[in-house]
Amino acid sequence: MSDFARQQSDFQRGILSGDDTVLAEILDSPKEKRETLYGVYRYAYGSRLVEAMRHDHELLHAYLGDEMFDEMGHAYVKARPSEHPNLRWFSRALPEFLKSTAPYCDHPVLSDLAALEKALNDAFDGKDGPVLTLTDMAGFAPEAWAELRFKPHPTAARLDVSTNTSAIWMALKNDETPPDPLALEQPSRLLVWRQDTTPVFRELAAEEAMMWDEAANDIPFGVLCAMLATYDDPDGAAARGAGYLHGWVTAGLLTGASTGG
Amino acid sequence: MNVASRLPDSSAAALADRQKDAVKPPFLGFGLGLRHQHYDEILAGNPPIDWFEVISENYMLPGGQPLRVLDQIRERYPVVMHGVSLSIASTAPPNFDYLQALKDLARRVEPKWVSDHLCWTGVHGKNLHDLLPIPYTEEALDHVVSRVQLVQDFLGRAIVLENVSTYVQFNNSEMTEWEFLAELSRRSGCWLLFDVNNVYVSAFNHGYDPHTFLNGIPRDRVVQFHMAGHSHMGTHIIDTHDHPVCEDVWDLYVAALKRFGRVSTMIERDDNIPPLAELLVEVKRTREIAEKVLAPGQHAG
Repeated sequence: MSDFARQQSDFQRGILSGDDTVLAEILDSPKEKRETLYGVYRYAYGSRLVEAMRHDHELLHAYLGDEMFDEMGHAYVKARPSEHPNLRWFSRALPEFLKSTAPYCDHPVLSDLAALEKALNDAFDGKDGPVLTLTDMAGFAPEAWAELRFKPHPTAARLDVSTNTSAIWMALKNDETPPDPLALEQPSRLLVWRQDTTPVFRELAAEEAMMWDEAANDIPFGVLCAMLATYDDPDGAAARGAGYLHGWVTAGLLTGASTGG
Repeated sequence: MNVASRLPDSSAAALADRQKDAVKPPFLGFGLGLRHQHYDEILAGNPPIDWFEVISENYMLPGGQPLRVLDQIRERYPVVMHGVSLSIASTAPPNFDYLQALKDLARRVEPKWVSDHLCWTGVHGKNLHDLLPIPYTEEALDHVVSRVQLVQDFLGRAIVLENVSTYVQFNNSEMTEWEFLAELSRRSGCWLLFDVNNVYVSAFNHGYDPHTFLNGIPRDRVVQFHMAGHSHMGTHIIDTHDHPVCEDVWDLYVAALKRFGRVSTMIERDDNIPPLAELLVEVKRTREIAEKVLAPGQHAG
């Protein structure tokens, strides 16, 4: 290893783990000791990354408050050092961290809320794609509908949460006191996507969530309706399927439909 | 790792040709760093700003509003791309995925130039997201020259490198920062972004005269000025970019204009972002000072 490489290694280790080896190669300034000057880099490292997390997780920050959020943030910074050149992706492992690390894992609402914010962030700058319109749909002959397969918009993502995350998210978004966290008997099925430039989400009923997931798996409309028939009134399944589909199209959730196999 | 051997030709003659063949980026006037807080106002009002500098990483994204806004901005204004993660002085292998993403963005934006900083941001697969200092040694210079050449060959264009604010100096440095920058530019053909505030900050922190730095930079290699604010801690200054430009930095700007002449200049605010109107006052001041300093008969650059 060259001197230059070794020096960078020491400099970085001093920031990440507090090792002071590199101080032997740093000069005092005319007005300040080297420990203080090097300390500027040490302090900036954690504070910059936690600041980025505050930006990405505005509502989790509001939920936890400054002190608890920053304590959690610094724990995350220590556990998951950034390995990506773009700060945009630094906080992406936060939901997983909160789900797997004590004491945060004892409060599942934290990882759920982080996962919802992450999904919304991902939708915000996710890949662009065409949006299927009702006019596009009108171009398909009625007899072709059973074979129609759908392509979700690239920003559309499904997320299951085990707590009343949506209600908490909504309250925080409106600067209201959030309800107490509740563990749900059945997961809350969320669909997140971007409408024009705005990330949005809504809760899905169990059968709509099933239909969306299977549609995303390339199952054709006729089969989707047959699957819906197992959830509720079989005679109304086709109408319900058409209703859900209409909702997806008008919400900009689909990027294409085709009769190809 | 020394990558110089992988380059087409690094002989002295070839290096001279690199410089000769590289067309100097154009003078763009007086600009501003584009920040999302001002998107709507800029698109609605076409404010009197000659050009915008965008942070490359903020647009190295799959899609969505940031890229859409950038497309609209670049239809109306010249745009320059300014990165923070090139890590040109890192001893770790270059991140070619990053470089490809940078190249892809440049293909979309068609910036007047692409800049980053003379610094490193991490080694061993980690990224500290900071502009970290280097020792000014012959070894470091050889390394950075070879990296700049590699990056320029990869991107297919000469890059622009900025002097960063530093808080520490290494005891093994063999030359000054300005000597390092001058030699780097001469040998690699890269252009220089002269951050007036950073010179002021580093000069204070290390106890030298900022004019000595300024006078050590070749007149013909500087293509951009940055003007920004900082936080004074008494014994040292931290480059926070969250305050208006201070009077001492405005004075140094006058000296920079006298040495380098007409150079594309911009106001860079990264935190504590004020209303656009407040920054427009600073942009106007960069223009007025330049007009005064560079008036016929006053031109010294």
